[in-house]
Amino acid sequence: MVGNDLVDLQFAKSESNWQRKGFLEKQFTIKEQQLILHATNSFNVVWRLWSMKEAAYKIVTQQHEKRFFAPHKFECSFISEAEGIVFFEKNKFFTTTFFNSFYCHTIAQKTNDKLAVFSSVGMPETIDFEIKKRLQELTGVLVEQISQRKSSVGAPLYYQKEKIVTNSCSISHHGNYGAFAFTLQK
Amino acid sequence: MTKEELITKLSAIVKPYIQNEEAFKSLNENTDFINDLEINSANLVDIILDIEDEFDIEIDNDSMEQMLSVKATVEIIQKKMNI
Repeated sequence: MVGNDLVDLQFAKSESNWQRKGFLEKQFTIKEQQLILHATNSFNVVWRLWSMKEAAYKIVTQQHEKRFFAPHKFECSFISEAEGIVFFEKNKFFTTTFFNSFYCHTIAQKTNDKLAVFSSVGMPETIDFEIKKRLQELTGVLVEQISQRKSSVGAPLYYQKEKIVTNSCSISHHGNYGAFAFTLQK
Repeated sequence: MTKEELITKLSAIVKPYIQNEEAFKSLNENTDFINDLEINSANLVDIILDIEDEFDIEIDNDSMEQMLSVKATVEIIQKKMNI
């Protein structure tokens, strides 16, 4: 299973104030707050942690088809500059985060998952088409024959008629960007 | 405070964060913050903090977990205010 989350950093700067009283306490565990407060670039750490939590949450909602808002239940730790782990109940998710000056993008996968992840960042309006195009390249099924359906909690699934093509799929929008990550059916 | 008054106050709180004007115009008990109003999940925390300020209540993590729709949020505010 795969999940992804993108944060438009300019948008985050204008739409969210992480220094607002109570913001960090509601969103992050004590351990994570320490990481933020001791970082040289606290802003980047806030959004890296947030995108890790969201990417992991998007795996959980594909598994259980239940939505909830519990950022404290997803505890993050960093392995390296890009890699990290998110713990959620008895689950462990492995994350990779890519940063540039425009956005921060995290892909999360279950730690024992060996499936190849296909992923890209683009514009929010064309993400659906980008996924279909990539599926065509990978499977030979034409774009016109691929359609998107949604699970009861809104997780996207791609089909060729009645046959499901994606094993797991996650779409993320924020500000000026859209991103996807998927794995294929074996 | 009646439920209608609560919903009116709540809609004023969520307004700055919504991205779907049409869904906001027809806001009702069944409106979902993310699926209908297209609020960024990062702004959910702002809404919760705004609710705490407006109603002078404290929202614990267990309550926050449910707060994805107008209905669930109104119920939690009512419970916290004992009304």
